[in-house]
Amino acid sequence: MRSSKPAAPRSIDPEPGVISAFTKEQDAFREEVRVWMRAHVPERPLETLEGPQGFEQHVAWERTLASGRWGMVTWPEEYGGRGLDLIRWLIFEEEYWAAGAPARANQNGVFLLGPTIMEYGAAEQKARFLGPMARGEVICAQAWSEPGAGSDMAAITSKARRDGDHYVLSGQKTWSSRAAYADWAFGLFRSDPASSRHRGLTFLLFDLSSPGVTRRPIRQLHGETGFAEIFFDDVRVPIENRIGGEGEGWSIAMATAGFERGLMLRSPGRFQATAARLVGLWRASSPSAQAATKDAVRAAWMSSQAYAYATYEIAQRIMAGGKIGAEASVNKIFWSEMDRAMHRAAMHLQGASAELSRTGAGDANAWLDGYVFSLSGPIYAGSNEIQRNIVAERLLDLPRVGAG
Amino acid sequence: MDLRITDDQAALAAGVRAFFEAELPSSRLRKRTEGGADDSALWHAYVAMGLTGLCAPERLGGLGMGALEAALVAIECGRACAPGALVDTGLTAAPLLAARGEDALTAAIARGDAIVALAHARNPWIADLDGATMVLGAGETGLAPRDAALFDAVAASAGIDPNRRLFAFAGGRDDAALLDRRALMAAAELLGLAEAMVDQACAYARTRTQFGQPIGGFQAIKHALATIKVAVDFARPVVLRAARALDLAAPNAPLCISHAKIAAGDAAWAAAETAIQVHGAMGYTYEVDLHFWMKRTWALVGAWGDRAFHLDRIDETLFSGAAPIGPTRTFG
Repeated sequence: MRSSKPAAPRSIDPEPGVISAFTKEQDAFREEVRVWMRAHVPERPLETLEGPQGFEQHVAWERTLASGRWGMVTWPEEYGGRGLDLIRWLIFEEEYWAAGAPARANQNGVFLLGPTIMEYGAAEQKARFLGPMARGEVICAQAWSEPGAGSDMAAITSKARRDGDHYVLSGQKTWSSRAAYADWAFGLFRSDPASSRHRGLTFLLFDLSSPGVTRRPIRQLHGETGFAEIFFDDVRVPIENRIGGEGEGWSIAMATAGFERGLMLRSPGRFQATAARLVGLWRASSPSAQAATKDAVRAAWMSSQAYAYATYEIAQRIMAGGKIGAEASVNKIFWSEMDRAMHRAAMHLQGASAELSRTGAGDANAWLDGYVFSLSGPIYAGSNEIQRNIVAERLLDLPRVGAG
Repeated sequence: MDLRITDDQAALAAGVRAFFEAELPSSRLRKRTEGGADDSALWHAYVAMGLTGLCAPERLGGLGMGALEAALVAIECGRACAPGALVDTGLTAAPLLAARGEDALTAAIARGDAIVALAHARNPWIADLDGATMVLGAGETGLAPRDAALFDAVAASAGIDPNRRLFAFAGGRDDAALLDRRALMAAAELLGLAEAMVDQACAYARTRTQFGQPIGGFQAIKHALATIKVAVDFARPVVLRAARALDLAAPNAPLCISHAKIAAGDAAWAAAETAIQVHGAMGYTYEVDLHFWMKRTWALVGAWGDRAFHLDRIDETLFSGAAPIGPTRTFG
């Protein structure tokens, strides 16, 4: 193209004029994923993940994925993974979303709990949980919030009383995503009754079919039961289900929140796929609808690209030994508000037809379903108000006021 | 494609930032606007640091660095609200002149003996023409001496930015390479301006007390600044991606550059509005430095392809279906 190619050789980039940004090996891996997805992604969209039939269909998809060892490509082979680096994970995700593959029933397990167990779990816990999660045999839900502990998570009151080699759980969790249908769940419980705030909390995994566990599905605004309340009536949980030490739950949970808000839960491919579909919808729309939404549609593409560049950079930093800290909050604000804006644009593009666009299925073109789901993004995983406090206090060094 | 900044690149940026913090405090910017411009000491320092020759080939006495390094330096120029001649001459003109085979002039830039102003059909002015020896983008060949008849009747006029003197000129050529290169540098400057305005607003919010506490403790202030931080942090990878695309001579470099100019320009514009709001009435005074950064922002958003120009360039690709988009086309 232009005249300004660098005079000095540069080791980190491909040769000038080479379009592929990837190595031959990475491109070969991409092709392998693409071929497999083409052969296996269901032709018809599955029913919604938030309902019982759809959930089963999605679990079956998890097992299909696992049959190709695609459950969690970054995990070691002994746990059902492929031991791949984060760049290959991003390539996998790009091809996954480009293929129109279903949402992940086990995303909280593989993307949130998995990395936590990998970092803080004992060897026998890794062997016990990671393989079954990667194989789609165990679907895990998260159980953080309580009626009195939402944004203020340190206000948790659910108890884990020690009784010999067991903890005895009592209390209640709520807004527990997937808990209506999942097999296991993980969350924080107050193991030291004299403690307050973030001290004295313990991170526990528990079987949702344990005696004393009552699940009450909560009907969501779209009518399905994507989350649930969980009541604990002297539920006995063996101590080998504890991740990390007793009373160390808060810092472990914060690490989990970092995975969720930061890198793993929302890969760029998902949003780039949405942006591409949105552009397609725009091109098929009337001139007046196009004029009214052009800025928003363009912004959708620009934002999804910005998120992709940023994620590649963060992945490369983590691969080089770096950590992701409070900047995970910057990411969470960005992707959740981007997702909402993209789906809002689709609603506006469809005008009077928008209210008909719900199919009740996980159809990628069910823009109304997508819009409704996008409204949860700025709320879950720590509301964006909490994220903005974190950004202000930890990255902008503004005074902490009123936070515990 | 490794998108990280190398240690050497980080050191370059840190060195330039430290230099500006020491040599170009806002008091000096103020003096510059009041007493007329004498940037010769500043220019000598640039030459000593190798910045005028940063992007000139090594055989012509330069450092042979690419658009990415240039962008990192331009970010620091923006952060310091530095006068534009370094970006015009060292970061933009030098590599373009070298590519035209103008070896003598390129070498003179690297040595500090030439300053090149930039003309373009998209700009109704030439910035800082009075300090220049040559003008790129003007005249029959696209390169003209500053004292040519071409510029005889050109008079300085006051733009909004007191650190940037404008000379009305309608004869600029439509040089695509010049526009892309300088638009990328403007995007980088805008990113630095945005970061500086966030820093200024945060510094003020930490010290200004009302209702018995620093105003930065109030969520109304925190959330406004956090929102800008998000926009700025996600403009940076777009600017750096565009710089790499230019270095790679990627076919989608113009698209990436337009994206960068929009992302950084919008982030900087929003940062300016938030920063003045956080400063309250103090932000509306000449005494507080913020206005210098705001004015440069307003100027650069319109320069080197205004918002409409760059949006059109994105739209031509995005909405025509001509270029593939989606998850598998992150890098084009």
